[in-house]
Amino acid sequence: MTVTPALAVDVRALLGEAVGEPHVLTAPGELITYARDATATLGVTPSAVVLPTSTEEVQSVLRIAHQHRLPVVPRGAGTSLAGGTVPLGHAIVLSMARMRAILEVSPREMLIRAEAGATTQSVIQAAADVDLLYPPDPGSRSVCTIGGNVATCAGGLRGLKYGVTRNYVLGLTAVLADGSRITTGGRLWKDVAGYDLTRLLTGSEGTLAVITEVTVALRPAPSFEAVGLAFFDSLAHAAAAVDAIVGSGILPSTLEFLDGQCINAVEDFAGLGLDRSAGALLLFGDDGEPDTVRASMAAMADHAVAGGGKGLRIAKDPAGLEELLHARRCSLPALSRLGAVTILEDVTVPRPAMAQMVRLIEEAAARHDVLIATFGHAGDGNLHPTACLPAGDAAALRRAHHAFDDIFTAAIALGGTITGEHGVGLAKLPYLASQLGATQMDLLRRVKHAFDPHGILNPGKLGS
Amino acid sequence: MSGSDTHALRSDLALRGIFDAAKLDTCISCGYCLPACPTYQDTRVEASSPRGRINLMRALEAGQLEENDPTLQHQVSLCLGCRACEPVCPAGVPYGDLLEQWRDHQWRGGRAPRIVRLLMRLTGLPGPLLSVQRVARRYRRTKGVADAQTTHYLLGCVERGLFPELSHAVAEAFPDTDSPAAQGCCGALHAHNGRSAWGARLAKRLGDQLPGTILTSSGGCAAHLAQHLGRDRVVEVSEAAEKATAGGTTLRRLPLRTTLQDSCHLRNGLGVIEEPRTLLSRISDYVELPSAGTCCGAAGTYSFLEPVESRQLIEAKIAEALQLDVDVIVVNNPGCLRQYRLAVKQARASVRVEHIAVLLAEAGRPSTGTAGPGRSRT
Repeated sequence: MTVTPALAVDVRALLGEAVGEPHVLTAPGELITYARDATATLGVTPSAVVLPTSTEEVQSVLRIAHQHRLPVVPRGAGTSLAGGTVPLGHAIVLSMARMRAILEVSPREMLIRAEAGATTQSVIQAAADVDLLYPPDPGSRSVCTIGGNVATCAGGLRGLKYGVTRNYVLGLTAVLADGSRITTGGRLWKDVAGYDLTRLLTGSEGTLAVITEVTVALRPAPSFEAVGLAFFDSLAHAAAAVDAIVGSGILPSTLEFLDGQCINAVEDFAGLGLDRSAGALLLFGDDGEPDTVRASMAAMADHAVAGGGKGLRIAKDPAGLEELLHARRCSLPALSRLGAVTILEDVTVPRPAMAQMVRLIEEAAARHDVLIATFGHAGDGNLHPTACLPAGDAAALRRAHHAFDDIFTAAIALGGTITGEHGVGLAKLPYLASQLGATQMDLLRRVKHAFDPHGILNPGKLGS
Repeated sequence: MSGSDTHALRSDLALRGIFDAAKLDTCISCGYCLPACPTYQDTRVEASSPRGRINLMRALEAGQLEENDPTLQHQVSLCLGCRACEPVCPAGVPYGDLLEQWRDHQWRGGRAPRIVRLLMRLTGLPGPLLSVQRVARRYRRTKGVADAQTTHYLLGCVERGLFPELSHAVAEAFPDTDSPAAQGCCGALHAHNGRSAWGARLAKRLGDQLPGTILTSSGGCAAHLAQHLGRDRVVEVSEAAEKATAGGTTLRRLPLRTTLQDSCHLRNGLGVIEEPRTLLSRISDYVELPSAGTCCGAAGTYSFLEPVESRQLIEAKIAEALQLDVDVIVVNNPGCLRQYRLAVKQARASVRVEHIAVLLAEAGRPSTGTAGPGRSRT
């Protein structure tokens, strides 16, 4: 049985005053449900959970935590795949689940201001309601929060053409460890007054400040969208086609691939009529003005065929579009049925090194006898090698960790990163120093110390 | 890889054997169920979400929580059992099955709420059975043992106790069916309230009493019977009517504006979504209730066990329906019928609430020139 140190009674009372008694949870059953996020195998029970409704309430909570030197872990929807919200040290979990209002939609300025706990979907929808686009679309967009997206700099399927969360954050309201409040940036595209703290907080994983309000930029919504699919003998062949496409000056909105194992898992799961004998599937698509999109689709199809692509299909209508995209979207659920424990990683390498990285992943899986299937965002070199393990098999889990050790080392050697879009969290912290080096790690610690001298914010993570 | 105080791997813990381990393992904690769960949307607390409840089940299974833990006791009851989490789950977690196993354990013996135990016992008493016979007389006479060729109408327990006119409407709308007097309870009530083995036995017995296809007006009964007898042996009223109209049965258009509340178990358990909408669009001026797919708070015994949460859910629904300015709120489950009628009465609203079978019966009758209590529209 996990023993969680109980919160001192007076602290509980203070937190109750700060956010309202019913919004402080300390019952063991309540706490155990906040021990983990979407990362398999990592969990620590918090000492309390608080659910504030305003920036002021967040400030009050942090003043208490600061005074009593209590660790605090901000939590959006708990969809982290890197253990980013696991409350190490039995921290107090600060759930943003009740702060979910869209505060302002300004079509004239093409921006949205929202509370940190608003779901990404609600931001996307609010933009769509005024015929605008909020491009970042992480797979978990229906549940994950805009604050969590900023804290991890979430990516998604449109990264190559549209960039990731950081390209859209204009301004933040955040609460520092001592309870003081800052606003960074604002509503301006051009603003160079001071260090770019907006960017610094983007991807800071709750270790520097608690983000309570976010202003994001929008884009015009494209009027037309198309997507096509082709099969290849191997991921290396598909990667070469990707290189040819981007090298020719096309910037597609969709460029995704699945390896042969994913194709078969997806086919078992969804029965889409995919070519089970293929070594790779490439999805390519674009959005914009109809004539431009048709031209770029034709050019991409030519590159695919020239690179050995077979079984070419182009969706002609929205239903067909959805059907093709479904193959990519259901990769993870399909894989999750191959083993009760799925470990989904997100190493990213420069695009020309992608084929080599894929081969190294396959070799690592074979060497350590682990089932690892790979899918990912081919356009930006962001790979999702996914280990599928049986439940409670400690030996298999050890082998998987050895395989990922090799995979992370290989990614760094190829000039890549241990994480493209999921964040370092708890899962990848042991590998961070080998990517950044001692000097940068030391700088990270000094930045962390400047923001949070007593180390109470998401302790044990980035820069702690 | 992780700190020394992280949770032990599950294999290191002695399991209690309360749950089917393979089913409990399917959840990957992705959280896609959170937006679909009515109790999470209301409370915003993790333990009130399907993902949180599965983590509670895991803690119970692993002995990390005692079974008298107040959060376990609260959440096992607060869950509506609406299964709205199932269609949105990418990993295919059989949440309904896990909830049955949880309640089997948590509510075993005398631990089930008193009202639940009382209701379960009532279903076996001769009183309700007598009302079966009274209703069954309206149907085509069947001699001796029910045969496997005829479609047999199941007289649900809630319906025969509270809404015999619903059974009459089904008899009228489906003249080719019979309803043998010798039939018990399907066991859905038991399965949803901590007696899944009892519920399974009752389903099997009913399957023997009503061989062949079973027609039902209740979503809970339909999903439960489909689970134990096979999907092909169960047909729900709107499914049957859809088939019949495709086969040539004609229905008159009623001068009514209608909306629909889905039965959760029909929608999430059996995927019956389009059929009632197609029918209502054919026989009336149909508008979609924005929250049609979320639970109305009836949820079997829920309105007795969690009256506050239940009332919150239905009051929001009534407000939504009144905004649509409809003549009739249509339901396809007797529990929802009771829930909506009570709430409409409390709100002193003038809108009718009817089971879809009643409208189908109305639409099957030749026009009498009077449109009934509804308004006529152009």
